[in-house]
Amino acid sequence: MRPSLAILILLHCLATAAPAQTARQEKTIDLPAGVSVEEATISHAGNLVVAICSDHAVRVWSVRSSDLLRTIEGGREPSAVQFSNDDRLLAVAYEIAIYEKGAVKIFDTDSWKVRHDFADEAPVYRLTFSADGRHLAGAGDFVTYIWDLPARKKTATILPPFGGSASLAFSPDGAWVATADGDTFVRVYDASTGALHSATQGGLLEPMTVAFSPDGKTLLTGGVDKTISVVEAASGKISRTIPKQPGLVFFLDVSPNGKHAVVVYRSAERFADINHLALWDLNNGTILADFQKPGITIHGGTFVGDHYLFAVASGKQLTLWSLR
Amino acid sequence: MLTRRDILQKCVALGSVLIASQASPEGMLAAFQDREKQIRKPTPPNALGPFYKRLAPVNDVLRAPGDPGMPLTLSGQVFDTRGDIVTDATIEIWQTNHEGYYDVDGYRYRGNRRVDKSGAYTFESVIPGHYPDKSRICQHVHYVVKAPGHKTLVTQLYFATDPVFEGDPVKNYSRDPLIQTPELIRPVMLTGDPNEVRAKVRFELCLERL
Repeated sequence: MRPSLAILILLHCLATAAPAQTARQEKTIDLPAGVSVEEATISHAGNLVVAICSDHAVRVWSVRSSDLLRTIEGGREPSAVQFSNDDRLLAVAYEIAIYEKGAVKIFDTDSWKVRHDFADEAPVYRLTFSADGRHLAGAGDFVTYIWDLPARKKTATILPPFGGSASLAFSPDGAWVATADGDTFVRVYDASTGALHSATQGGLLEPMTVAFSPDGKTLLTGGVDKTISVVEAASGKISRTIPKQPGLVFFLDVSPNGKHAVVVYRSAERFADINHLALWDLNNGTILADFQKPGITIHGGTFVGDHYLFAVASGKQLTLWSLR
Repeated sequence: MLTRRDILQKCVALGSVLIASQASPEGMLAAFQDREKQIRKPTPPNALGPFYKRLAPVNDVLRAPGDPGMPLTLSGQVFDTRGDIVTDATIEIWQTNHEGYYDVDGYRYRGNRRVDKSGAYTFESVIPGHYPDKSRICQHVHYVVKAPGHKTLVTQLYFATDPVFEGDPVKNYSRDPLIQTPELIRPVMLTGDPNEVRAKVRFELCLERL
């Protein structure tokens, strides 16, 4: 089934679906004394987990052995981490002066040498690579940058009318960058020039996440208004919405084969609580798994084969869970 | 009466201003005058979110009769960096209620208004609460200020009485990771009497010209 069609089926069935399976705890990583995790994500192959820790170090562990592989101490405050799609690069953004100065370093995950080093006038808090690893985009509270890595230069500076972007994503072919913006728009830009292609204003409240379908024709977005919307990437037209989600739609992603989607919910009452995740079967619109646990924070994850592997922080531990 | 330009030209003639530039003396003096007019620092920006909601009603009385919490009057004037009053600015604010909750279903504690002829504004509200999740985020009011010919200002107002600052916001402002300068932390004036105490906060806003 084509991914875009599958997404439409998901949205048709979303309200009536019921969970069928549960999550499984795969690994537990004990953090150094006095250290907690502020942000974490998992490599696309599912073999590395990286975290920004409260002591301002970026730590990388093996998923298989739980061994600490690398500690990156930049002397600055890390603000975002992200692996390239082939996991050969790890981008780390730093906040040097809040709102005023930032930097991005890109490490080779074999040698851990710095391959690229960009300094910019504003820090970024969200990072995403293009699928081919040639471009990196970073979004801050007022600006979004796009860098061409082989050319070692910034190719676009995108300034929304006001506010910044909570989420951004490259289209699978790397031609477009979509942003979920604080001024309530979802915008699509030409990734090579930063020129605005379309702007979609759906809900009254800010969108918090945006993701492309694997065929690049459709965008999924959701946010504070507890609604998921399907947007035609080319026109910016909203083709479908599904309201009344169980929380703020904080993060969503579609599996590379287009068969599954994951939605992470943030509590509307306690904004810091990010502890609810649902895995959807896009072919029949059923919930494959629904994971909710008090006292934890769900961080980034990745689709590995037929399951979703994600990182969870709770107190002194970082745990890895899978939903199948 | 001599104009400022006349005075500057006289300074050049008498040697009290020396111009060491390949640009024309007229151009340098014009730039000098222009820089002199930038007498106000633009209000520092701050993050937009969370929970911005468009189409907020035109309303400067956000506090309903009987609302719990400390009554608050927010007021100020809008200027540009030359010190000129901006008379066509629109100010949109939003905040939590006194318990730290945003209204995402409706428009409680959300409003916008145009400044008056003197660039002045007033909002009647309550002092917002801390977020209930015990985060390090201080009590705050979100501002978006728009005016033709000026860069849109996105900022937040914080309260010097916030317990996080322990009475010394200049020293402790960075305890909130989103506050980059104590300039955004405003003193609180208590008025009324002990039976009907009210808080007043002034927040002058300075926009950058495009």
